[in-house]
Amino acid sequence: MTNWSLRFNILAAALTLGLSGVNAQAQETVHVYNWSDYIAPDTIANFEKASGIKVVYDVYDSNEVLEAKLLAGKSGYDLAFPTARPFIDRHIRAGLYQQLDKSQLNNYANLDKQILESLNDIDPNNAYAVPYMWGTTGIGINVKKVKEILGDEMPLDSWSLIFDPKIAQKLAGCGISLMDDATEVFAAAHAYKGEANDDYTKGGIAAATDTITAVRPYIRYFHSSQYINDLANGDVCVAHGYSGDILQARDRAMEAKNGVEVAYFAPKEGAVVWTDVMVIPADAPNPKAAHAFINYLLEPKVIAEISNTVAYANANSAATPLVDEAVRNDQGIYPPEATRANFMVLKTPSDKQARNINRAWTRIKTGQ
Amino acid sequence: MTDVSKPANAEHAQPIVRIEQVTKTFGNVYAVDDVSLNIYPGEFFSLLGSSGCGKSTLLRMLAGFETPTHGRIYLDGQDVTDLPPYERPLNIMLQSYALFPHMTVEDNIAFGLKMEKMPKAERDERVREMLALVQIEKFAKRKPHQLSGGQRQRVALARSLAKHPKILLLDEPLGALDKKLREQTQFELVNIQERLGITFIVVTHDQEEAMTMSSRIALMRDGRIEQVDAPRRLYEYPESRFAAEFIGSINLIDGHVVKQEDDQVWVQSEQIDGLLQVRHSQPLVNDMAVTVAVRPEKIQVVPALSQGSNTVQGVIKEIAYLGDVSIYHVELPSGKRVMFTQSNIQALAEQPMTWNDSVTLTWQPNACGILVK
Amino acid sequence: MSGGQMSALKLAQRLPGAAFLSNGRHWIIGLPWLWLTLFFLLPFLFVLKISLSEAVLAQPPYLPFIREIEDGAMTLVVNFGNYMLLFEDPLYRTALLNSVEIAAISTLLALIIGYPMAYAIARAPQAWRLPLLMLIILPFWTSFLIRVYAWIGILKNNGLINNTLMSLGLIDQPLEILYTPTAIYIGIIYSYLPFVILPLYATLIRLDDSLLEAAADLGCRPWKQFLTITLPLSMPGIIAAAMLVFIPVMGEFVIPDLLGGPNALMIGKLMWTEFFNNKDWPLASALAAVLLVLLIIPFVLWRHYEQRQEQQGEAR
Repeated sequence: MTNWSLRFNILAAALTLGLSGVNAQAQETVHVYNWSDYIAPDTIANFEKASGIKVVYDVYDSNEVLEAKLLAGKSGYDLAFPTARPFIDRHIRAGLYQQLDKSQLNNYANLDKQILESLNDIDPNNAYAVPYMWGTTGIGINVKKVKEILGDEMPLDSWSLIFDPKIAQKLAGCGISLMDDATEVFAAAHAYKGEANDDYTKGGIAAATDTITAVRPYIRYFHSSQYINDLANGDVCVAHGYSGDILQARDRAMEAKNGVEVAYFAPKEGAVVWTDVMVIPADAPNPKAAHAFINYLLEPKVIAEISNTVAYANANSAATPLVDEAVRNDQGIYPPEATRANFMVLKTPSDKQARNINRAWTRIKTGQ
Repeated sequence: MTDVSKPANAEHAQPIVRIEQVTKTFGNVYAVDDVSLNIYPGEFFSLLGSSGCGKSTLLRMLAGFETPTHGRIYLDGQDVTDLPPYERPLNIMLQSYALFPHMTVEDNIAFGLKMEKMPKAERDERVREMLALVQIEKFAKRKPHQLSGGQRQRVALARSLAKHPKILLLDEPLGALDKKLREQTQFELVNIQERLGITFIVVTHDQEEAMTMSSRIALMRDGRIEQVDAPRRLYEYPESRFAAEFIGSINLIDGHVVKQEDDQVWVQSEQIDGLLQVRHSQPLVNDMAVTVAVRPEKIQVVPALSQGSNTVQGVIKEIAYLGDVSIYHVELPSGKRVMFTQSNIQALAEQPMTWNDSVTLTWQPNACGILVK
Repeated sequence: MSGGQMSALKLAQRLPGAAFLSNGRHWIIGLPWLWLTLFFLLPFLFVLKISLSEAVLAQPPYLPFIREIEDGAMTLVVNFGNYMLLFEDPLYRTALLNSVEIAAISTLLALIIGYPMAYAIARAPQAWRLPLLMLIILPFWTSFLIRVYAWIGILKNNGLINNTLMSLGLIDQPLEILYTPTAIYIGIIYSYLPFVILPLYATLIRLDDSLLEAAADLGCRPWKQFLTITLPLSMPGIIAAAMLVFIPVMGEFVIPDLLGGPNALMIGKLMWTEFFNNKDWPLASALAAVLLVLLIIPFVLWRHYEQRQEQQGEAR
């Protein structure tokens, strides 16, 4: 989950206005700031019962909103859930977080060592971030319609559905959507061409820009959450998006019994894998309570229940056996080893590179 | 009696405005009720009456802002009843003046000329002429809100005259001016009317104004015409109690006819406890209830012993000093009050009569009239 | 030096505190100024300050204006680079021109649609006016965001309009409305129409009917009456309405974001990108400052022109 919609940000910002900055209270309180729909319904109530700590829970819909609040300072939050790449390394450098006190996290050993290792380059010794959930970014497809247009023999697990102008042209009338997220789309474009996904040089940006511009006329819109509804309703046929979101669209279409069949594919050329982590802001009013909440989420039973709800894989190896079989065996959520081999990890561009990417992105979107 | 439906000098002329049995209702209210009226070229014609009498509605129907419920209106022989205002060959000066606030004085005056697509040179000439006519050349470039009330009135007049209409309607043209300016402007209006030879139809509630300016007056009441006459005749020979009371002040004495010989009528009145002799040519029936009307200035003070008809005695109860004249209120033994006026000929002369003096009053039989309505 | 003392005295009297002590009336006049200072001038000065600093990944994400070099020695660092970039990079110029174009067209369309509505309400029988005005204001009782969202459901490919037209057999293919400039205009005009109708109504209701009667009497036909009398006299309402649409639409973000396609490059969206995606508060602030100046200039010019015209009339 790197970038949700800009659209909900306004709502989220409005909602959080009233809640942030509250700290002086008689009862011990922890202020948690998480993505929307990213926890099980009874997690908070159970934690409050077990710990006696009151949770003030607040949600956001994009890393950008979280980042803006943390940069402005005095957010009042004790715990936040940013996406590891490309956010937390620069946040750590900017001094936004405080180091974890692992002596307060006695469930820490439950974490997947492989995932901890994968974060080591941006968070040495895992000093600041505890992994929460992970997933991939790939393609959601309206199976019937795409097969109708392209024929049965066309492979569906390829970025060519989006980036091959000949194919994209055919699908345009049915609707193609891209995420409104420069790093995700650039990585996908690089993967389609077999280029290095972390080429943030001017040449690399220009190459990716050309790939995307070639299919630009066939893209209906750029958005990072709209496709959930539109896929489920049959308003778009091919959507670039997060695994969990597309699986949500699949479930909604099934519930609606509208004849739309949605499927998720992590493309064979490579899909971005991402991890959302838990961090404690440097100016958190109650870091102790934050540690307690993290430790609670590290309990296998607790995190397994969350995975069952949100359809994302957790970073807790001890929890895997406790996750529902249907979820555990869903290749969209827990991909097979062969697919994992092609996963791409996003590298963090420098500030200057990030600006170049964003500027190129604005040009692509607006057709300038 | 002479035909009062025509002015004295227009015996053979064709009417320029012919109003035929016009009625206008708003819901259940009869604003104008079966009015017929002829107005002749060159007249300064006034529609006089108190507010709500229908005079403005009648004027608005002439202008075309309202359509009659029944009846027809002819201008210059043409039936205009259903013509919209912008196709009627007349102009109106509205009570509010309705100057266009976003235009200069010049542009206001030129507006109607632009509408008839008059060439610019001719138009400019006409505007100059109008500015000169009402003497506001200095203010040509001003906007209406930069003018005084009197100046605005002149602009409104100039604008409504600019197209050289044959007929000009004026709705309370002097209503918004103060008294002094009003008197001055009355004569100017008459001068302009005579100079241009246009038929003026004026709506006013002010009887003095109507008397001063008009060649003829239609007195209106409750949507109907009470009397149409020249100012002098209207004053001297009111046909109804209403007309008599509306114009100037008057003494009204109730009684009944006891005798008629030739053009003389004798009326017995309990209010004066005696006989009144009145010149009246129409035949009347004995015992008929009538009202004798006599203007205060027609009454003379005579020595106390005088006898005869048209002679009353009473006590002065009130005196109003008006500068030129004084008005005396005399109470008769019956309790009836009679007013008479005396001009104050000598400055600061000692009052010959004062409060509670007994006086004897008399008037000539041809100085009063009989009202049957 | 009595002159100097005099002006010093006058100055003292103009200070809000002195005014409060000396004269209550001045205090009342001072209130709007206080309000403007607190809620407009001060925030704007903050924005201006940030726009002249440098972006940095820190908390807050820009460098302070005044920096300590060593041992208490201070230096003032002013960075005009953000403004330079705005003028150098054609992206911002394009965004600005796009915003002007969208704002201008929306304003015009809103006026064309709103004027007859305001006129009809002002001409309606007295008893009807209030209910009609209420109907105009009624949508305000629902959140702006929700109303704009609702348009997605109406305009989308299998939305209300397309489904209706298709079921009636009027079209075979859905009309592409959502995510096009048309959708932006629909959204903007829908949202801002009350802001057009209300000031226009206020002007039109005060219009003196006798002016139209006078014009008609002078030979002016109804259509011409509208052009020569009603329209020029409702100019203050038209200008107020135009400003109430044009200015906010220039900075509009929500409507183009929700209803517009990716082509909708507007200054508001660019500000969002600079602020959130690039974390470049200084550049976003510079953009805001430039936008504000651009919006204020025409307003000031118009006021100046109005006043001068007034004085000219007076002088003659």
